Amino acid sequence: MRMFRARICWFAAACCGAALFYSNSASARDKAEPAPDWAVNAAKTPTPGNVGDASAVVLFDEYLITVDEQNHAVERERFAVRILEPQGRKYAKCIMEYDNDEKLNSFRAWTITADGKQFQAKDTDFKDFGAGGDADLQDTERFRVLDPPGNDPGAVVACETEGHLRPYMNSEDWQIQAPIRVLDEALQLNLPPGGHYSESWSKFPPVKPVEVGSNQLRWEIKDMPALDLENLHAVPPWEALAARMTVMWGETAVKGAESQWRAFGEWEDQLEQHRPDPTPQISTEAQELVAGAPDLYTKLSRITSYIQKNIRYFVIEKGIGGWQAHYAGDIYRNRYGDCKDKTTLLISMLQAVGIRAHYLVVAVADLRGAIDPTAPSLIANHMITAIELPDGENDPRLMARVKAANGKTLLIFDPTDEETPVGLIRGDLQGAYGNFVDGADSQVLLMPVLPPDSAETSRKGTFALAADGSLAGDVTDEFTGVNAARERGFLKESDSKEVHDRLEEGLTSDLPGLNFKGYEFHETGELDKPVTLDLHVSDTGYAHAAGPLLLVRPRVMGSNAHPVPDLMESKKRAYDIEIGHPGCWRDSFDITLPAGYVVDETPDPIDLDVDFASYHSSVTAKDNVLHYEREYVVRQVEIQPDKAAEFRKLESAILFDEKGTAVLKKQ
Amino acid sequence: MRNLSWLLRAALFLALVSPVVVRAQFQQPTDDELKMTADPKAPGAAAVYLNISEIANDPMHYQSYYYRIKVLGEKGKELATVEVPYMKGNGKVTDVKARTIHADGSIISLNVKPEDLLSEKNGEKQFGRVVFTLPSVEVGSILEYTYTLRYDDNEFSSPQWEIQRPYFIHSGHFQFTPFKAFMPTGTPNTDTGIFLVDSRGRTINSLVWWPRLPAGVTVKTSVNGSYTVDVTDVPAIPDEEWMPPIESFLYKVRFYYVPATTPNDFWISESKYWSKEVDKFAEPSKAIKEAVDGLVAPGDSDLAKAQKLYVAVQALDNTDYTRKKSQSELKQLKLKEAKHAEDTWAQKSGSSEDIAMLYLAMLRAAGLTAYADKVVDRDRGVFDPSYMDLDQLDTTLVLLDTGGHEMVLDPGEKMCPFETVSWRHSDARGIGEGAKGISITATPMQIYKDNTINRIGDLTVDAHGGITGSFNIVMTGQTALRWRQEALRSDDAELKKQFDRELEAIVPDGVEAHIDHFLGIDHPDDNLIAMVRVTGTLGTATAKRLMLPGYFFETREHQPFVNEEKRLEPVDMRYGNRVTDQVTYHLPPEMTVEGAPQDANLAWPQHAVFVAKSKTEPGQITIANSLAVAFTEAKPEDYQDLRGFYQKVAAAAQQELVLSAAPAAASGAAN
Repeated sequence: MRMFRARICWFAAACCGAALFYSNSASARDKAEPAPDWAVNAAKTPTPGNVGDASAVVLFDEYLITVDEQNHAVERERFAVRILEPQGRKYAKCIMEYDNDEKLNSFRAWTITADGKQFQAKDTDFKDFGAGGDADLQDTERFRVLDPPGNDPGAVVACETEGHLRPYMNSEDWQIQAPIRVLDEALQLNLPPGGHYSESWSKFPPVKPVEVGSNQLRWEIKDMPALDLENLHAVPPWEALAARMTVMWGETAVKGAESQWRAFGEWEDQLEQHRPDPTPQISTEAQELVAGAPDLYTKLSRITSYIQKNIRYFVIEKGIGGWQAHYAGDIYRNRYGDCKDKTTLLISMLQAVGIRAHYLVVAVADLRGAIDPTAPSLIANHMITAIELPDGENDPRLMARVKAANGKTLLIFDPTDEETPVGLIRGDLQGAYGNFVDGADSQVLLMPVLPPDSAETSRKGTFALAADGSLAGDVTDEFTGVNAARERGFLKESDSKEVHDRLEEGLTSDLPGLNFKGYEFHETGELDKPVTLDLHVSDTGYAHAAGPLLLVRPRVMGSNAHPVPDLMESKKRAYDIEIGHPGCWRDSFDITLPAGYVVDETPDPIDLDVDFASYHSSVTAKDNVLHYEREYVVRQVEIQPDKAAEFRKLESAILFDEKGTAVLKKQ
Repeated sequence: MRNLSWLLRAALFLALVSPVVVRAQFQQPTDDELKMTADPKAPGAAAVYLNISEIANDPMHYQSYYYRIKVLGEKGKELATVEVPYMKGNGKVTDVKARTIHADGSIISLNVKPEDLLSEKNGEKQFGRVVFTLPSVEVGSILEYTYTLRYDDNEFSSPQWEIQRPYFIHSGHFQFTPFKAFMPTGTPNTDTGIFLVDSRGRTINSLVWWPRLPAGVTVKTSVNGSYTVDVTDVPAIPDEEWMPPIESFLYKVRFYYVPATTPNDFWISESKYWSKEVDKFAEPSKAIKEAVDGLVAPGDSDLAKAQKLYVAVQALDNTDYTRKKSQSELKQLKLKEAKHAEDTWAQKSGSSEDIAMLYLAMLRAAGLTAYADKVVDRDRGVFDPSYMDLDQLDTTLVLLDTGGHEMVLDPGEKMCPFETVSWRHSDARGIGEGAKGISITATPMQIYKDNTINRIGDLTVDAHGGITGSFNIVMTGQTALRWRQEALRSDDAELKKQFDRELEAIVPDGVEAHIDHFLGIDHPDDNLIAMVRVTGTLGTATAKRLMLPGYFFETREHQPFVNEEKRLEPVDMRYGNRVTDQVTYHLPPEMTVEGAPQDANLAWPQHAVFVAKSKTEPGQITIANSLAVAFTEAKPEDYQDLRGFYQKVAAAAQQELVLSAAPAAASGAAN
């Protein structure tokens, strides 16, 4: 349905503020041309009855990739979509991506209205945009966007684009699925004499190509169902679930998944050759950092912390710069770079102290899960580091380790993540695949899922309840591991007002009459040390009288509930359920009751254990103190859809517990 | 003679490139600046501007910009990346110099060439941005950079000094030297032959400025022909919920060229032109008269005529809610943009403005007394007559005078009932025609009783807290208008999805609410009713009791202001309204009410009232509550009263309904 143009370190960037299809490529002409036959024929395709309440349907989508003897390719796309509802217009905004080395040859479009009238898009219907994104991640890439004339419901918009593919990339990812149904789609690969190709299929059974000419292969697919995740929650990203085919040509096109991953790794290895070579300054810095370090962990911690603290994230990517890092010496001098640069400098500094490390290409955020081990491709948006651990290195702090096929033990680390200490990786990376780059040992690698003690939060609170329902007390939170990293990240990205506002906002959902007396964060700056937070709060109307009763919620603050609306409504789930990351959250609250009141009733305890999580809570009363405690443990990042009922049971139990009310009676 | 196109280009140029400046040299930081780890004048700030200097010099054809920033926290590092927007063909960004000074005094200079990136290209217009980032930035660093914008000798600049920024400013210097004819000491239209004319051929003889500055600060003129502003200790831009359009309240100075010297002269002159253009577009031509004759009957009252014509123009395709035809599409359809009301009527399509003017033309053609009123969109800004720019005003309303009874109508607001005005156009100032000529006007405020939501529910509860039932949500005024307009942009399924999403946010956890259907979605004069089905689990059970949320819809609904202790800016509620809930719970047979939410009558006098009441009957309890907000704006000094009121409402909303398996105690718990 569209081609996916991967770029490393693009996980934060977006084009034009809109999630659209993009077709490929240049310019409209002033003289009106009638719609070509392919567009007219596509427009004659009736809308099938199985599109349901879809807002648009793709009638035709065809790619023609023509490769020359230098393995440089030109791609033409013909795309026709029928708008069925007003909101379906978003599917008819064709977009073409181009850059200095991705020249745009042509971009033409027509609209055929429901009553057969034809419009041709003119120059004024096109706009060009620079690639957007965050201030610290910029690109020379441009997009030409069409706002088609006459694009009302019932109309068919047909776009034809042609442009050069990036000359240094010999593969294309054909997204054969879309958020709307695709009736007829095809990809044709025209190879030069003697040219060869390979293919891989993800989330779709392989389709055999038809040889339509000499060394001309054509894959055709009819009636591809929509992948519409709009009303589903806690699902993996769209890209991880959508069907796609990857086609490769030239030297990197080899048969078999294992060989193909190796070929991609070797290509990346060559691209980064000599980039990490340490300069004398880098070597000196690295050696000074590890001087006197008692063990490997300390060495790693000092070097990784140096990168995390001193190398600011910023890059303007140009052309191949989307895949290739800067030289380590330049990165070290400027003290900024993107994910590839940070990894490069880390590899360089580790190399300077005798530790080998490698690039690991991964897909995170809205691409998490898109790397399919059975379907090699260059779909990725991030670069991290795989550090070789010596045999027998069993330091328990180095949790994020994995065994490569060649027997090496690798420690996975993300130097772009400035808050997570070496030894750990954040949830986004856990359980996902990456392409490990190590010459002939390159391979696809499954990153580990860490144990729950990699991320812990412990909250303790002591409160006094007055007869008028007011409550006052102090709370201490302690965060360790990945949970501490999250807090550090928040503190780093926020000024003091934002910190205050977030805390206040979080508290008022449980304490609506909040009087926020103050807070103190204690954070040493050392990433492997806990972060603690002291809160001082009161609430003028915490407990409520109901006739002769005083009702008080023993769970004073905080929530472990993550209800997923579609699952809670027992809707059938076909896709994995994302449940966060492994960790352990504990609460312990003591509420001293007002004089003259006794506990008449408390909520029942909860004891629930499913394989991916557990939840235990209890409320007890002793003397004049009401005590609440709970422990919530998560063991996975995502679970299979057949666990939906257990997930629902777990969330229902948590919700029930969190609403639990103790009933006090006056003596 | 230079013509207005220069002015327009210059204005656009500066709007894009806005602040900048200079010729300032890099400074040696003081020891205090180097050692600074926090700023007592900006507690908790992640960065502060130590110096800003923005200098524009038209005779020398440059603007130069200089900034010195102290980074105090990680977030402040974001200021190390600089983007300079510009319009290609109008100028060049040159002389970029930058350096980072570490807390120990070491200096790292920028040695990477800035990148020139495309922002947007639309036909001939191309907007770019020059991007660079300072090297080796740390918390504690001082960032110092300068760049210059050079432009052609036929460019007049109109500096827009943004005096208030996201970060605190210790010292700011802003200077503008215009061409000699516009210098404070200059004589217009004489010495250099440089002058401007506007699109109406009028000579522009004044460079004026519109200042919103801290107390005691003014725009100063100097004998060397420049205008300057010097400020110290400017607070950061406030960030609070429910603020009025903040752009209208920030410190800034805008320079611009006008053919008038005083606001009074400007508005007299400009409003005459505006009125003439209105009369020209809204001319009750023969075609309009014929159309009107086909729509109204001779015996109709003035009010009936106005209503019939209103219905007719509301039925047209309002392209602000559907799709505006592109230039190429109009050309291929051999259509032209509407120049007169009859064009809009002939095409049966037009923008909100076109339709408002068409309505005006039709009223006039029907012999009614009607005027145009051009007002600000209150969601966007605040009209300030001292700022001489008609572009402050966005929307045309129609004033209808039916024998002394004047009403404001909003025909360009699709699905807006007759005599109802969008909140964005109410309590809004502008200029308007009238029997006595043209004047500054203000539209009436919204009346809270006109904007209502009534949620009436009937729920059956089982012994474990399970519920089934339904709600009728009846909407009038602005909420109904919003959903009706949403329905124009989406099909029925999409509209229901959106409504369900809003329901999801306001029903208690464990409860599913889905709209079954709307009543009256296509009939703006009727109440809009959403019929909602509800199922799920409500509340919690203990061995002896079942506890349910006292107020069904308040359990998750965000109460504003509860979590905001202090207030700097006024509160803007947009419009007054009243939300009423009435929920009847049918109890499980074996349970009775042991405790119900307490009746409440909370008031913030003259502003808002919350009333709650419950009534127990055999086998059921009905709980009703109502929150009426009768104010639109509250001053910061009234904030604690406002917050206190909302805190009480939020606390009341936390109350619970207790059902007991045992017979209810005879304590009067049920009210």
